[in-house]
Amino acid sequence: MKKTIVSFIISALVLASLALWALKGHLAGNAKEIVMAGIVLVLVGFAVYLGVSRLHSHQRQEPAEDELSKKIMTRASSLAYYVSIYLWLFVMYISDKTTLEAHSLVGAGILGMAVVFLLCWIGVKAAGVKND
Amino acid sequence: MTNRIKELRAKEDLSQLELAQLVGVRRETIVFLEKGRYNPSLRLAHDIAKHFGLPIEQVFLFDDEAASKPSE
Repeated sequence: MKKTIVSFIISALVLASLALWALKGHLAGNAKEIVMAGIVLVLVGFAVYLGVSRLHSHQRQEPAEDELSKKIMTRASSLAYYVSIYLWLFVMYISDKTTLEAHSLVGAGILGMAVVFLLCWIGVKAAGVKND
Repeated sequence: MTNRIKELRAKEDLSQLELAQLVGVRRETIVFLEKGRYNPSLRLAHDIAKHFGLPIEQVFLFDDEAASKPSE
């Protein structure tokens, strides 16, 4: 239950920061910033989905985590780690070919890692976890 | 690896959620097991087999065993 509450609090904080950022006019007509905000919203949606599914498990008196959910997380994390190495290699490759500043590239890389994890989690969950 | 969980569950008129609660996992895990998308740990396989009162090898079948024993 503690993890569920933490995930909802973090999601709310991220959403509040995003709203504050948008209110300051950073999103107005800037395609790059709008894409980044969209990605953040997708990631917050993922966190909320995980939180709600934990909440449902709690209501059904099931464990919030079991061996399957832990295995999915472990496999998705290890896969995301491998893919992220290539992502950072790509970021390094384009760093001198783009006009983006270093902090923007690092931010994009971090967001990219989160997206890679999300995609890996979806992939592992869809494929299932078999040992053979 | 295949298993007879769905068949055994139906015999006992047990829902996926009830079985999940009995063996201490999430309902999703039972869904994955029945669809053959997850091979359980020895502990979970033991708990499920114990619940049905059968030895593990009569609940979980390796593909070569399942092919050689179609009537079971």
